[in-house]
Amino acid sequence: MVIGLRQFMARVGTGAGEPVLDTDNGEELVHVQPSVSIALGNRSPDTPGTLYITTKQVVWLSDLDRAKGYAVGFLSLSLHAVSRDPEAYPSPCIYTQIETEADEDDSEDSDSECNDVLDLSKVTEMRLIPSDASQLDTLFQIFCECAELNPEPIEEGEEGGHNWVFSTDQLEDETGEGDDAECHFHQNPTNLIGHSNGDHDLARTVLELSHFCKNLQLQIHDQRFEDAEEMERVSDSSHHQHQ
Amino acid sequence: MLFFSYFKDLVGREVTVELKNDLAIRGTLHSVDQYLNIKLENTRVVDQDKHPHMLSVRNCFIRGSVVRYVQLPPDGVDIELLHDATRREARGG
Repeated sequence: MVIGLRQFMARVGTGAGEPVLDTDNGEELVHVQPSVSIALGNRSPDTPGTLYITTKQVVWLSDLDRAKGYAVGFLSLSLHAVSRDPEAYPSPCIYTQIETEADEDDSEDSDSECNDVLDLSKVTEMRLIPSDASQLDTLFQIFCECAELNPEPIEEGEEGGHNWVFSTDQLEDETGEGDDAECHFHQNPTNLIGHSNGDHDLARTVLELSHFCKNLQLQIHDQRFEDAEEMERVSDSSHHQHQ
Repeated sequence: MLFFSYFKDLVGREVTVELKNDLAIRGTLHSVDQYLNIKLENTRVVDQDKHPHMLSVRNCFIRGSVVRYVQLPPDGVDIELLHDATRREARGG
């Protein structure tokens, strides 16, 4: 789903009905709230309309203009809240902040407007004003539940989605790892410095260096290279060695 | 799950959540979920001049993915414990 607010025009039937949902991918309608106005950014409210909350997004469709509708995915809703303070906004409403593609500082100040033409993708604030203010808490709750249904998607293919490198072993395939204890360091010294014909050569270079270091380490039994918490385990045996 | 458990213990305490868009909101931690979505009560915006629209909303839901920092009460943090726990979690994977 696209980031930010966008136009929504796909309505069921002859255009007077509900929004068309992505039911193939499991999107379901959760709640319908009639008589809701929508206020984008600093603009005055659009009214009247109907609010549709689905498992994936929030859709507002104008009751008067069948070509007018807006939608924003829960993935793009940074926060939502019940606003009742008349100093903040004259009518009690659900206040939401929308994440936009490039969240720059000046996008806060309705830079989304230019000669009355609204760039929806730059809208960062949206208020939904139900004519029935007693519904606000219910709407807030439904927003919470649906937001929880939309966590950040996890990238496939990485273990746990992170690619931290803990050792140079990870730079080479399993096959090359540790199969020979021989030291390649002396063979082609010129290959080690300055030649990085693509990542593969560089990775090999690093791997060769790491094998070299490992070979060195096998001969070093120095407590200074042990991790702090392993010291306690090692200290007993090392006492014996020094005798 | 480390921070989920950690924040659950802080429910009821005052925290300040700073979002990636620089908005900072102070409030009482009402609840947190496994995605570190945060619900705050009795919220108020830290820098009101920059963000007048959010004056004292009573409670709000903040999406975990937009949080930059959560500022904690100093006595709500056992640094040694947290340090050990995070180190163990990083190793354990």
